[in-house]
Amino acid sequence: MGGKRVILVRNRKPTDRVPGVVLAFLVLALAGCNGGTVDRHALKRDAENVASLASEGGLLADDVSRGRSTRYFVRVHAKELSSKASNLQDALAERPTSPGITSDVRKLSKLAGKVSRELERLHLHPTDRGVAVSLKQPLSDDADAADKLAK
Amino acid sequence: MKIFKVALGILAAIGGFVDIGDLVFNVAAGATFGYQLLWVVVIGVVGIIVYSEMCGRVAAVSGKAVFDAVRERVGFKAGLGALVSAQVVNLMTLAAEIGGLAICLQLLSGLPYPLLILIAGAGLLVVVWFVAFEWVERIFGYGGLCMLVFAVAAVKLHPAWGAVGHGFVPHMETQSPVLYAYFAVGLLGAAMTPYEVYFYSSGGVEERWGPKDLGLYKVNAMIGYGLGGFLSFALMIVGGALFLGQGIEPEFLGTIALGAEVPLGQIGLLLGLVGILFAVSGAAIDTLFSGAYNLAQFLGWEWGRYRHPRGAPKFTVTWLVLLVLALGVVMSGVDPVQLTEYAVIFSAVALPLTYIPIFLVANDRTYMREYTNGPIANAVGIVYLVVIMVIAVSAVPLMILTNVGQN
Repeated sequence: MGGKRVILVRNRKPTDRVPGVVLAFLVLALAGCNGGTVDRHALKRDAENVASLASEGGLLADDVSRGRSTRYFVRVHAKELSSKASNLQDALAERPTSPGITSDVRKLSKLAGKVSRELERLHLHPTDRGVAVSLKQPLSDDADAADKLAK
Repeated sequence: MKIFKVALGILAAIGGFVDIGDLVFNVAAGATFGYQLLWVVVIGVVGIIVYSEMCGRVAAVSGKAVFDAVRERVGFKAGLGALVSAQVVNLMTLAAEIGGLAICLQLLSGLPYPLLILIAGAGLLVVVWFVAFEWVERIFGYGGLCMLVFAVAAVKLHPAWGAVGHGFVPHMETQSPVLYAYFAVGLLGAAMTPYEVYFYSSGGVEERWGPKDLGLYKVNAMIGYGLGGFLSFALMIVGGALFLGQGIEPEFLGTIALGAEVPLGQIGLLLGLVGILFAVSGAAIDTLFSGAYNLAQFLGWEWGRYRHPRGAPKFTVTWLVLLVLALGVVMSGVDPVQLTEYAVIFSAVALPLTYIPIFLVANDRTYMREYTNGPIANAVGIVYLVVIMVIAVSAVPLMILTNVGQN
């Protein structure tokens, strides 16, 4: 085996190395992607993401509640935020986790789902000040809860 | 009359300075590191002024635009490498700008995104084909001035001005030095993006700049880019003052517009969106032409944005093909903001292939006669070449290590 490997390496042309380089690049890139096992670092990053979405939703809801935004902007942007939260919910519900953090990961998944539903309400009622007022506190609480999970 | 013309040029340059790469990286840098990276914007703006002046001078003295000179000075093979990398980055940037334009239209109209991509493409086609170029420049440059609303928003958010001032002094207060370096590279890549110099020098050739006009266009570039950098400061300050404290990571163009809405309400939102709309549309037209300029100049075809499309058919077909390809990329569902980050990082990798040939030609007496670089231009130019080499080498590793700025 060893000899064969040596021969293969010796016979390589420079262009034969390209797939190896590409493979190494892909492995490195995938290592940083959102798939795979959720470890503490990934949990922290995803929790910060959920907190970010909830905080931004809170700002948007506050502007809607004071009549400071426009129908289309709220409808479109709230949907973007809601979809991102929903994707996080799905990913966190399905991915395997490192030992000891499973409960926090699933808790974060549920929280992401809650944020997604709240933002969906804003998307469906982009000019309803009452709905916006009712969403401000829950979104703020969600951001705090996600921040706690990030720590 | 001349002063009036200069003033108009400066206004257009300010409005046209910011593109989707500047928007994304400046706001994200502010939201992640507050005002700490303001000094990087200064370095980027000085860099683009230095090299725009150089390639403007090359255009005025030798009558050659960047890729004309690249092909002649570095030869076909090296030139081809520069051309391919420039075209790939141009296409990515063009697709990102069109995607950004469609998102802006969606935030303003609520219409479906795929439909708006087609409308954006058709709109660009109509504008480029039918509107005289002087007017294209003015319309998008002046429209982009609506972005000044972010400067007002920055003031209204009451940032800690001491910290803002400290941001202009290079320093690093973070536990994430790799992420800090990634944003520094991205900000430089966005400020010095190569299409700007292709476009600038080609414009110089088309407008038949001569050595006697050099002073005028030097002032124009310095003030225009300098004040354009002011918009970048404003965007970063908005990111730092509004999003950092709330832990918001700006991942959408809508988040950037929210930066104007929160302090200024509906009027801020609308001006912000209209400003972004004009800025990314203008940048889309610049990148569209840059791609066509590069290929036409490299292959020796007839070219020119002031010509009727039928007067330079291969040039026209090139930008039409680029437009269709970019539309295809955006229609494939790729996220324009993420694409922007990749485009900026890959443009950082390609920077030396653009700026080294410009530097060489600007020092070549056979092209430049008595207008070669002076000692100051050479000293500053060499410092920037070193900076460019460092960011070109580090851009992709930093992108991987930070998971495109996510970690």
